[in-house]
Order: sequence, then C-alpha cells, then structure tokens
Amino acid sequence: MSGPRRGNDSSPASDGESGRGRSGRDDDSGRGGSVGDGDSSAEDGVGAVTSSQPADGPPPKPRSARIRSIAATVGRRLEARALAFGAVVTGLVLLVVFYYPVATVFVDAFFADGRPTVEPIVSVLSSRFYLVDIFGFTAYQALLSTVASVFLGLPGAWILSRFEFPGRKTLRSLTILPFVMPSIMVAIGFVAAFGRNGTLNAVLTGVGLPPVDLLFTLEAIVIAHAFYNAPLVARVTTAAWESVDASAIETARSLGASPTKAFRDVVLPQLLPAIAVGATLTFVFTFASFPIVLALGGFQLATVEVFIYSRIQNLAYAEAAALAVIETVISLGLTYLYLRYEGRKRGSGQGARPQPRKSLWPESRAAKSVGTRIAIVGYALVVLAVFVGPIASMVLTSLTGPQGGLTLDHYLFLLERQQTGASYQVRPLPAITNSLRFGLGTLLVAIPMGVVMAVLTTREFRGRAAIDALAMAPFAVSGIVVGLGLLRGLVFGVDVFGFQLQVTGAVAVVAAHAVGAYPFVTRNVAPLLGNLDPRLVESARSLGASRVRALVDIELPLVAAGVVAGAAFAFAISIGEFDSTVVLAEGSTSYTMPVAVERYLGRRLGPATAMGCVLLAVTSLSFVIIDRFGGRYGESGGF
Amino acid sequence: MQLTLENVRKEYGETVALGRREGERTRPSDVDDEGSVDSDDGVAFEVDDGEFFTLVGPSGCGKTTTLRLVAGFDSPTAGVIQFDGREMSGVPPEDRDVGVVFQNYALFPHLSVAENVAYGLKFADPPEGTTRDERVASLLELVDLPDAGDRDPDELSGGQQQRIALARALAPGPDLLLLDEPMSALDARLRERLRMQIKEIQSTLGITTLYVTHDQEEALAISDRVAVMNDGRIEQIGTPQAVYRRPESRFVAEFVGDNNVFEGTVVDIRGPNAEKRPRSTSVSGESPVETKGLSGGDSEGVTGNKSGEETANGSGESSPERRLVVDVDGSEIHIVTSTAVSTGEDVVVCVRPETMRVRNVEPEEGGDDESVGDDESVRSDESVKGDESTATPNLLTASVSESEFLGDSTRTHLRWNDRELTVRTDDPISGSVEVEFGARDVHLVERLTERRRR
Repeated sequence: MSGPRRGNDSSPASDGESGRGRSGRDDDSGRGGSVGDGDSSAEDGVGAVTSSQPADGPPPKPRSARIRSIAATVGRRLEARALAFGAVVTGLVLLVVFYYPVATVFVDAFFADGRPTVEPIVSVLSSRFYLVDIFGFTAYQALLSTVASVFLGLPGAWILSRFEFPGRKTLRSLTILPFVMPSIMVAIGFVAAFGRNGTLNAVLTGVGLPPVDLLFTLEAIVIAHAFYNAPLVARVTTAAWESVDASAIETARSLGASPTKAFRDVVLPQLLPAIAVGATLTFVFTFASFPIVLALGGFQLATVEVFIYSRIQNLAYAEAAALAVIETVISLGLTYLYLRYEGRKRGSGQGARPQPRKSLWPESRAAKSVGTRIAIVGYALVVLAVFVGPIASMVLTSLTGPQGGLTLDHYLFLLERQQTGASYQVRPLPAITNSLRFGLGTLLVAIPMGVVMAVLTTREFRGRAAIDALAMAPFAVSGIVVGLGLLRGLVFGVDVFGFQLQVTGAVAVVAAHAVGAYPFVTRNVAPLLGNLDPRLVESARSLGASRVRALVDIELPLVAAGVVAGAAFAFAISIGEFDSTVVLAEGSTSYTMPVAVERYLGRRLGPATAMGCVLLAVTSLSFVIIDRFGGRYGESGGF
Repeated sequence: MQLTLENVRKEYGETVALGRREGERTRPSDVDDEGSVDSDDGVAFEVDDGEFFTLVGPSGCGKTTTLRLVAGFDSPTAGVIQFDGREMSGVPPEDRDVGVVFQNYALFPHLSVAENVAYGLKFADPPEGTTRDERVASLLELVDLPDAGDRDPDELSGGQQQRIALARALAPGPDLLLLDEPMSALDARLRERLRMQIKEIQSTLGITTLYVTHDQEEALAISDRVAVMNDGRIEQIGTPQAVYRRPESRFVAEFVGDNNVFEGTVVDIRGPNAEKRPRSTSVSGESPVETKGLSGGDSEGVTGNKSGEETANGSGESSPERRLVVDVDGSEIHIVTSTAVSTGEDVVVCVRPETMRVRNVEPEEGGDDESVGDDESVRSDESVKGDESTATPNLLTASVSESEFLGDSTRTHLRWNDRELTVRTDDPISGSVEVEFGARDVHLVERLTERRRR
C-alpha cells in the first residue's frame, strides 16, 4: 500500500484552489496518518490526523471584504424583516380595501342609529321567506349546479387522462377558459342560445319542432353554472388522475383484482379528494352567483346575491347587510372546507408514472370497446352544445339583424354610440380602455399580494390556518358587498384621524378587482412553493444566501410558472369582473366592458351581444398572450 | 478549521434525536481513561484542521441530525458547537462558511451548471487574482467536468450531478465541508470511484471535512477518523483500523464489517504470556497484511503498549498480556488480552472471519479447499504462523448453512451451538467443518459488568 497522501503530487488544478488563506495546505508537512498509515503512526495514540498548522490563525480579511460585510449586515437585517414587512403591507392593503369596506356594510346589520341591535339579523333568520325562498333556493340551485358540474366534468376528465388523440394538450389547456369568461358574457350567450329568439329555437323551428322557452328557469341557471364549473372539475380531476402511479394499479391486478376493482380500490380513492375540491369550489361559486342568475332567472328566481342587489337598489341597507352577513358566514364555512380538501390534495406524487393511454379509435370490435367510443362521441356532442353553443350563439346573434339576416348593424351601433354618445351614456371605447387599464392595475397589486400570501401560507407558524382563512376571505364575501363598501367608504370619503381619505372610482375598482383576483395567484403559486425540495433553499443558505435571498434567487424562479398562471387568471378575472364594478361604476366614468354589456341589454339582444363579442375577444386574447408568455416556464400547478 | 462539539443534544418535543435518553446504559465511549463515567448527556467530538472525519451508523442514529446542527439548519437543544473556538449558536447558515453536499445534490434546476457553481460567489469573493469565471472553471476542472458549464443540471448523470454539487460547495472556499450521504443514490461501482475522487480532492485542498454515511465500508475506506454512532450517541471514535480491529462495544463490533461476536464468562486466567511481541512488526509499524484464512492475529500485542482512547478500559502503559479462557455456551474460547479482567466476569469477545481457518471435515460433495481429509483436530503446522506454536488455537466444529460467492472469496455462514458464525473461504463448501483461530485473533470488546454499572 502506498504511503500517506501528500499534497504536492496532486493535480495541477490544486494550484488555484488556495481559496481563502489555504495556501498552507499544499505542502506536506505532517500530513501523516491519512489513508494507509494504519494505526501505528509513531507518537500518537490518538491516531488522529495532524495537519499542517498555519503559522498564525486564519488570514485577515481584505479591506473590501470588511466594507462589504458591514453593508451586508445592514442589508441582511432588512432582508430578514422583508418577509414580515411584505406580510404587514399585504395585511394593510387587505384591511383598507377589503375588511374596512366590508365592515362598513356589515355594520348596518348590527347597528341601528348608532346602537347595537340584533333586529336585522333576527328578522332575516326568522323569516320563512328569507330562509326558504332565498337561502334555501340558493343552496338548492348550488347543489344542483354542483351535481351537474360534476356529472358533466368527470367524463371529460376520464377522456383527457385515459385517451390519446391529436389536440389533447390544447384541449386540456382550454379547460381553464370557461372559468375566466366574464359571467355576464356567459349569461348573454345563454340568452342568445336558449332564449325565445335564440339559436336553439332557430334550429328547432328549422327542423319543424316547436320552440322552447328555457329562459327564466332553474334548468337554464344550472346549465349555465355547469358551463363555468364543469371544466374546473374536469381539470382538477385530470391532474389527480395523471398523478396516479401505474405501478399501484398493476400491483392490484397482479394480486387478483379485475380492472374495475383495481379502479375502485386504487384509482378512485386518489381521485376523490380532487373531485371534492372541484365540487366544493363549484358550490362556493354558485352559491354566490350573481349575473347569471340575474340574467337567466330574473327576480323570480332570486338567489341571495340577486336579492341583496335589489335591496340595495331600494336603499334597504340594513336588510341587505343582514343577508350579506349570513351569506358570508355560510360561504366562509364552505371555503374552510375547500382549504381542508386542497391541503390533503397538495403534494400528490410528482414523477408518478401514469397509466398508458388508449386511442380514441376502438381497439377491437368488442361491444365494450365500441360502446365506450360511442358514448364519448355522445359526450362530445353535449359538450359542444353546452360550451360552444352559447358562445357561437352570441357571435351569431351579434351578426343577426331583426329580420334574421346577417348584418353588422349592432357593431355599427357600438361605433355610433362611441361617436355620439352623451356623457351619461356608456360608450364602448372607454369601456374597453378602462377594462385594460384596470386589468393592468390589478396585476400590479394582485401579483405581489398573492405571492406574499403564498410564501406565508407555505411556512409553518402558529396561526397559519387562521391567516390562510383570512386571506381567502374574498372568496367568500359577496362582490356586491365589496363594491358597496368601497363606494360608501373610500369613494365617498372617510375620516381618518382628521384627514379626509378619498379615492377615485378608478382606484376603488382596481382595489375591488385585486381583492377578488389575488387568491387565484396564491392558489397557483402556493402548491408549487410547497412542493419545492427544502434542500434547495438549504443549499443556497449554506452558500451564503440569506433566507429572503434564497426565496428570490431560488424559490420564486422555480414557481414562475405558477406566478404566470396566476397572473393570467388575475387579468382575466379583472376584465370580467362585474359584481363590484357595476356598483362602483354607477353614475361614474369608470365603467368596464361587462358593465357596458349589461347596459346595452335591451329588448333586442344585438348591441349587448356585439359588446359581448368584443369582450370575448379581448379576454381570450389577453389570456392566451399571458399564458403563452409564461409558457416557457413550463406546466403550472394549482388550477 | 477545527470543529468542536461539546455535549450537543437535539430534541424534537418528546423525541431525543441526539443525546442520552432516559435510563440509557453507559457506553464505553462514556468512560474515560481514568475509568470515571462521563456525565455528559450529549454528543462530543473534535475534528482537526484538514481532517476527513466520518459519522457512520444505521438509519436514525443521529448522524444527519448532527450534520445539520453543524451546518446551522437546526439549532441544538443543548451543547456547544465551535468553529476554531468561536461559538456558533445563533449564527445562521449563510454566515458559517460551510459547504454542504446533500444526498440528492439539490442542484438549482433553473440555473445552468456554471451558474450553480458560481452561486456562492455572489456572497464571497473569489480568491485573490482570480475572477469569478476563472474560479468556476478551475472548480469544474477539479471535479473533472470542464465542459459541463453550459449544460442544465438535469442533463447530467447522478455521478456528474454529485460532482457539480461538490464543486458548488467548494467554490466560495469554505472552512468546512459537510457531506450528507452523497453516495447513497449512486450504484456501487460509481460509488467506489467517486469516493476516491472526493478523498483526493479533499486531501488536495486540505479542507476540514465532516462526512456522513451509513455504509461502514465506505467510512473505513476514505476517512482519517471515524465516529460510529448508534441511537443518538457516539459509540466509538478512532481511526478506521482501530475501529475495525479493536471495537469497544458490541454494536461497533457487529456494525463494522463482518464479525463473530460472543458473550461469555471468564472461567480461567493464565498468567502473563511469554510472547508479548507479535510476530511481524514491519518497518513502518504497519500491521501485518491480513488475508483470509491466516491467523495473523492483529496488533493485539501492540495495543498493550499504547495508551489511548481506543481502549475502553485504558489500562495504561504496558499492562501484561494474559490468556483468558471464556466459556461461551459450554465451549471454551481462548483469548489473549491485556485488559484486566477477573474470573467470573461476563465479557463480549469477537473474532473476525478472515482470521479463522476453515477445514472441511465431512465434505458432502467434492471440490473445496483446505480440506485435510477426515482427521479431526489436526493442527497442520503450515497453517499456523510464527510463534503461535505455543498458543492453543481455538477449535470449533460447525456445519455450513449458507454460502455467498463474492468473487474474490466466499462468505460462508456456519451453524455452531445454535449460533451463526461467518467465515471466509475460497469457494463455497458444505457439510461439517472445523474452524480454527488463534487466541490472539480474539479481541476483547467489552466487560459487561462495567457496562451494567451505571
């Protein structure tokens, strides 16, 4: 065995490796005792390695390093607080644009003439009309909508995760589109499709069948809700399905389970949390649904939101507030449920090997094989009717004149209104520019807020669950309430320590949009952040990065895909926001495209659908642009 | 840079990850030279400047916990960690000047290889006269991947990623290098090659290194000193040779390499032996080369001349060697040791398989080596070395239960008195065998009476 390793016959690369004050190493004084020497080195019973001792302690740091280290210490103190700082700022923003305005509305439920009272709440809770006709109906339609969404969405999930066909990936990305469509536009589309003069009737009369009037029915509302939420269910379930490891299924089969049993025992348990997430979200959204119910149900089929709106228009604030309070309590409970399910779903297997996919073409003549394909075709037709139908109807209606022929009259109307509209009227171009401006403003506010919240929710600390719930509160609170609160609070001006705090309508609109949008940023970023290997951050820290620096250099770039997806969401949601904007835009110039659509709704659908098409174009374009832009960061998690 | 740990404990709530638990027995490492028991509750060791020090032990023994405490990712519940005498409590990882290589390498996936290696240089200046790029290039060359700079980490193989992780950790010129089972994710061949590379790099740079592994063979192969850990405590610290040849506790005897460990009672003590010197003290003091089947005995005799930490009951200088007879399940085992024991004491002894000679007594089929026919208890002179002639070799009769052909030898498992023995032979054998080993081949691991005394 050769003698102990010496430093001086090592590779040439060692010469540059002195690093900091390590030049003493490369000589071979007393580096005995290393490999090969055994334990019989002369003097030491310790058998330890004695190394070359530097003559005098560690070498002094050069001047530049000293200055650097002072600056670094100061910077580090700031950085360490940066996260806390960001959290505080986010909290303040939320306080000012959400909690305070909402509180001013809720206050009316508990105080009358400055004195506390339970009268409004009690009167609502003890009213049969409210409990059964309003809340009961709201819950009922939400339940039906949830069932419909799940039933419509699950087959889609099955097809997307188990079959291979050209355009599958595109279709998968498109599943997010209905969710970000402005609700008012969806309502218009459905009216255009299923109304008395709608396309469905046109088709039916065309083939000789009697026309149907599906509007102002519960069915229309439920189907419209399914339009929104079935793709969500499908998307979430597909993601879960694709993360089921094929090995687990193969193991079950090898142990004797039939394909169906294997599915029931292995796959289904892994799908159920995802389905629960989709279902819960659907219920929360449909419970607080507003434009769709307004347009397709009228005041006869009123949900809570619609009724709150009508109470506000009648200036019955106490009643509206009481209703809003109770609605919020219910929604908050449901949101909490959603968070619980989502937490369980988080961290599902990355890098699982999914099952191999089947082709859409039947692989054999067997009844089952052909039967499934036929069922898929049937499903595709239903999907076309539900999803493409309303959109196509809307486009068609915008191009159809009163006599039934094709015409550009409605678009001309838009142009004409733009040129000659009076100042109190809603004009198309300002609506478009406002929408875009507010969208950008929303991005500027919602992205930092959402990211900060995502970072906070992925750290373990006491009270984290409470912070999580508080931050997700905007999910649960009625948009109308937010808009009203902002209007009465900040827009009309509020007295703070003797200063009059007042914001313009535009700022208030951006605030309302940002508050509604940032939870989506969080929900897209948090799962990715939570799944990051903690050793990446530890490596960065051992290399000299502070905690915040590691966050900025390492964690955020790796969740960029989630940030971009969240941004696309936030922008689309802002463009399509209706509930708060319609309240805030009342009588002001800060109206947006959805508000314009509602304003143009008249006896004829033409102008509204024309505006709706413009809205559709802008929404889709911006969504695609942002998604494409972020596409190079890869697949996003979350939604 | 010298690393010192004193009495370090780590608890997570109720669980003690590092340190003495309630009602735990005293370990040999707890007893110092004078025989008094160390009352410290935690883990303690020192790593000298430039030393390659390894923590080795089974899963859950606390080695990774220790490494994380040194790195600053966690704080100890009690105890002191010092870098060159400076206390490190409260110092965050980014201020400790350590380089860490994790088991899964943790390369930053969104940065190229060169950017990964350069990352630490954002917070530390490259050495005088070199630029950042030059530093990165020289490190890539050091780990033998000079052209990998522009590639993405996920394009590299496991072994390459590991080397880049090492380059990244070394780029800022840290005072301490920490490696947490860096080889675990690699295949065996690669592991052997890479560990030599790591050792070479470490030697070249002379950087103090703390290495964590569960692979005892790896620990022996590359370390300057080894600390064997079990259950949150250190069982023994020593050079690989000391830990292998003179284990101080049953756990160490069983954990490090193959070993035959017996517990028995001392029934007879025969006076100081005439032969104090082992046969072959070679020039540089290296112990005789051991190959399988030769009862070389080890430097048992040398031990007697050394005081030192390895000997649990540091019997001081030149204590006389004595031959003991230990009763193990009714059979007698002769052992030569300089440890002071008395009759009636329970002791743990061990014999390494490679020191035992195996003779097939009743071969079941043909073809085996060392078969001397059917004679029993024949002591062939050619098989006994040197001055063993006066020592009574131990002789056991056992039957073969299993063989594992390893290529250069066969690990054969025998059944003796309801115990399992492990020996080495050239080829697989079967049937009944005789196992012979000298009294010097047996090492006294620990005295149980002392262990029981708290």
